[in-house]
Amino acid sequence: MSIIHHPSDATLAAFASGTLDEARGIVVGVHLSLCAQCRSAVHAFEETGGALLDDVEPEALSAGALQRAMAALGPLDIIAPAIPQGAAGDLPVPLSRYAVGPWRWIGRGVQWRPVEVASDAGVRVFMLKAAPGTKLPRHRHTGTEWTCVFEGAFTHAFGRYGAGDFDEADASVEHDPVVDAEHGCVCLVALQGHIELQGWLGRLIQPFVRI
Amino acid sequence: MLRDGQTAAGNHAADWIRAIAERQDRAAFAALFAFYAPRIKAMLTRRGAPADAAEDLAQETLLTVWRKAAYFDPDRASAAAWIFTIARNLRIDRLRGDNRTKLYAPYEMVEPEGPQNPDSALSAAERDERVRAALKELSQEQVRVVQLSFFEGRAHGDIATLLDLPLGTVKSRVRLAMARLRNLLGDLQ
Repeated sequence: MSIIHHPSDATLAAFASGTLDEARGIVVGVHLSLCAQCRSAVHAFEETGGALLDDVEPEALSAGALQRAMAALGPLDIIAPAIPQGAAGDLPVPLSRYAVGPWRWIGRGVQWRPVEVASDAGVRVFMLKAAPGTKLPRHRHTGTEWTCVFEGAFTHAFGRYGAGDFDEADASVEHDPVVDAEHGCVCLVALQGHIELQGWLGRLIQPFVRI
Repeated sequence: MLRDGQTAAGNHAADWIRAIAERQDRAAFAALFAFYAPRIKAMLTRRGAPADAAEDLAQETLLTVWRKAAYFDPDRASAAAWIFTIARNLRIDRLRGDNRTKLYAPYEMVEPEGPQNPDSALSAAERDERVRAALKELSQEQVRVVQLSFFEGRAHGDIATLLDLPLGTVKSRVRLAMARLRNLLGDLQ
């Protein structure tokens, strides 16, 4: 798998620091499970977190804090054999740890499958499966739209996105993706806000489109 | 902004964790606690936690370090980074009212793929040196952005207010600072 498009460094850093919201974190996490280069970047940011922790001005603990901790010390965990990952229907980690709904048709050639994750940032996570050659209507978003491709590919103005590729579109992006003519496309999407279809036709069908 | 002399404590930390794993060394735990618990509390209060909640989580982080000591792998991560990720995961669990974060492999760094190439692997000291050198290479302004955005986890809007800058400037500054840092860090595996 040759991955061309990656999350931005700021996004990988936010993942490493634990400040990225869970919904978008799933899409980044799936990319990480497929991309050694970005795992290495997250690791580097975690090391940075460690260095900054070493260096932060300490804040005094309440009296007796150490004694309370010492009193709570129990037996150590014994290293358990690693649990095989990705058993749940071949979905990559961390997606396999979440409940995923059934596939549903949402339009010609396009199926949709929701991922159950609460979001206080108004982000919805779902899988999309589009038939070969599907042209998605030109649209823009009211928030960010982050996508990680599992299988097949799609193409828009910023290039071709194949298996493992990550597309980090913000609210300023307006695009009309075309799905690979041979293999179709299966991807995971974290969508903030909703999609606004462009053009008279788009505005006409907007009320009937669910995403 | 980096004070000298902290590196030494960081290097001891790996020995302390090993002493816990090998012989449940309570003195090593006390040393680790004295160094890290007040720092984790500081990090969490900067991330907006009330003092008592921050102290609770600092306690829980160190107790987890004790329990999971055998899982620590100094070839994979520094002690400080390992402790940082434990505190990070516990904070997320607490915020979500969940007892286990699904986003991160619990108490592990993102796993490397297959065995590492021992010839290209950095020693713990080299890795630590590289991170500190990278932070020193950043401009004062970039270090501030890394601290506020990355370490303290503040939202862009929050940073804009603090630094009295337009939101767009903050966004591009964060983007540039993290890209530069990544570039300076290179591959730490």
